[in-house]
Amino acid sequence: MSTISFFMDNIAFISKYAAAHFSLIFTAVIISLLLWLPVGVLVSRSERLANAVLGIANTLYCIPSLALFSFLVTIPAFGLGRKSALLALVIYAMMPLVRNVYQGIKVVDKNVIEAARGMGMNSWRILREIQLPLAAPVIFAGFRITVVMTTGVAAIAAFIGEKNLGRLITVGMNGYNVDMIVTGALLISLIAILLDTILGFFERLIIPRGLRIHRG
Amino acid sequence: MIELVNITKKYAGQEEPAVKGLNLLVRDGESCVLVGPSGCGKSTTLRMINRLIEPTAGTVLIDGKDIRETDPDRLRMGIGYVIQQIGLLPHRTVAENIAIVPRLYGWPKDKIRERTDELLELIGLDPETTRHKYPAQLSGGQMQRVGVARAMAVDPPIMLMDEPFGAVDPIARNHLQDEFLRLQSVMRKTICFVTHDINEAIKMGDQIAILDRGELVQHGSPLEILSNPANDFVCDFIGYDRVVKKLSLCRAGSISRKDFCLIRESELPAAAKKMEEQRAEVSFLVDGKGVPRGMLTAKWLKDNGSAFTPKELKALASQGHKGFIQEDTLLRDALSLLLELDLDYLGVLKGETLCGAVSMADIRQYASGKEGD
Repeated sequence: MSTISFFMDNIAFISKYAAAHFSLIFTAVIISLLLWLPVGVLVSRSERLANAVLGIANTLYCIPSLALFSFLVTIPAFGLGRKSALLALVIYAMMPLVRNVYQGIKVVDKNVIEAARGMGMNSWRILREIQLPLAAPVIFAGFRITVVMTTGVAAIAAFIGEKNLGRLITVGMNGYNVDMIVTGALLISLIAILLDTILGFFERLIIPRGLRIHRG
Repeated sequence: MIELVNITKKYAGQEEPAVKGLNLLVRDGESCVLVGPSGCGKSTTLRMINRLIEPTAGTVLIDGKDIRETDPDRLRMGIGYVIQQIGLLPHRTVAENIAIVPRLYGWPKDKIRERTDELLELIGLDPETTRHKYPAQLSGGQMQRVGVARAMAVDPPIMLMDEPFGAVDPIARNHLQDEFLRLQSVMRKTICFVTHDINEAIKMGDQIAILDRGELVQHGSPLEILSNPANDFVCDFIGYDRVVKKLSLCRAGSISRKDFCLIRESELPAAAKKMEEQRAEVSFLVDGKGVPRGMLTAKWLKDNGSAFTPKELKALASQGHKGFIQEDTLLRDALSLLLELDLDYLGVLKGETLCGAVSMADIRQYASGKEGD
């Protein structure tokens, strides 16, 4: 009960934190999409490039978030705050996005591509009209993972000065304010689950109709 | 006209070239079947015609023009291409799949819609019910038809077909082959057709090019190849039933003989005499309406003397009441019927009317004759 009253009493700054949290997620996801989708498409063109880039993405993904944040703050150009937070989130998004775009394009039936090429479709048209639509479900799954992961990792950015819902947990830890900690933890979890559910709904819509229906 | 001049293709990292110094000419309106065991270079050859593969050496000419002078995408838009796996776009409807090349050409929507329906009808699918279906809703045979329709969308003069009927069951395949032959007899497209099945080659090809390990072993009409196989490889490839296969190239009407006579039931007692007078080896018993009911051969009459009652004669003649075929029956099927009924002659019908006779000896002569005269 006291958690609820804590939430009600502090709704003003909690909503400010939530807004900051959302804006960080939103910005990070937009930058990630703009950057990693084209990279994913690009690496699908060359096996060697794909191996190199996916290798880098995997390695970066392995770095613990706290370590990556701490490392980035020490770079003067980034320092404490949003720049470092954004960069870290974009780095983490590389793996799910680039890999899923690559995988999605690669698993498109070779015969479909062969037939399209044999009919005189150029590579750009094949990409736009065949590979991307058919890869869309896999790409979207990567996007969904990215959003959920970004929500969680964004909270950790509170350690480097981001004033978002993660701060409820860090500050709450320092003063051992259980209500504060629980409010923060619950809100972050709820947001992650909510976003995932909404995206899950859209994921079903994005599967091309021809792949959803079967004989009969 | 497609001309392959000294084409060689060597894949990187392979010792032996996939295709070695191949020369081939496919005339306008002719279908040429490339046939050979897997790995003989037939698909590679086909794919060099639409530049999906570039030859290491040599030139491909279409209507006398080097295909390297045309942009590859542009070139391919003008050549129909059908592959075994069909490669229909799963996220596009049947109509959209057929419309791919017309859209590349920028046809107006109305014209595309009209053409799509026309093609669907041509391949025997109802436009109303099929147009909006997705490939996943079609049977294998239907998908293959749509694949063929798609390749014919802009009525290209040349079609390249890589084992187009290889992925469907034998009954559907036979059906598709017959239908395609019917279409081709009207369209007269220049066709390059790849298969590993010699029977399909014999059936579909005006010309057959047999390839082995990247080299052209023999090129000729099915009859030439079946009559004069160039070497042991071709013999083996065709199989032991080479001569029987030849029988599927000829229809009964084209070798039927005219030295037969017709007899009515009332003429039965005088049958032997009538046949002798007309120098006929066989006589067919017909009823009042001219419908064949049986046959008598000179040999039967001779072997059994002339002491038959009319009733016995009728019974004898009736033994052959099933021995009639249409003039477009393949000799292969005629032979089978001769063997099945244990007859020496078959009557050849044109519709309901008798127009000739085919004997075991005629078939034997055709089969053993060189160049089938």
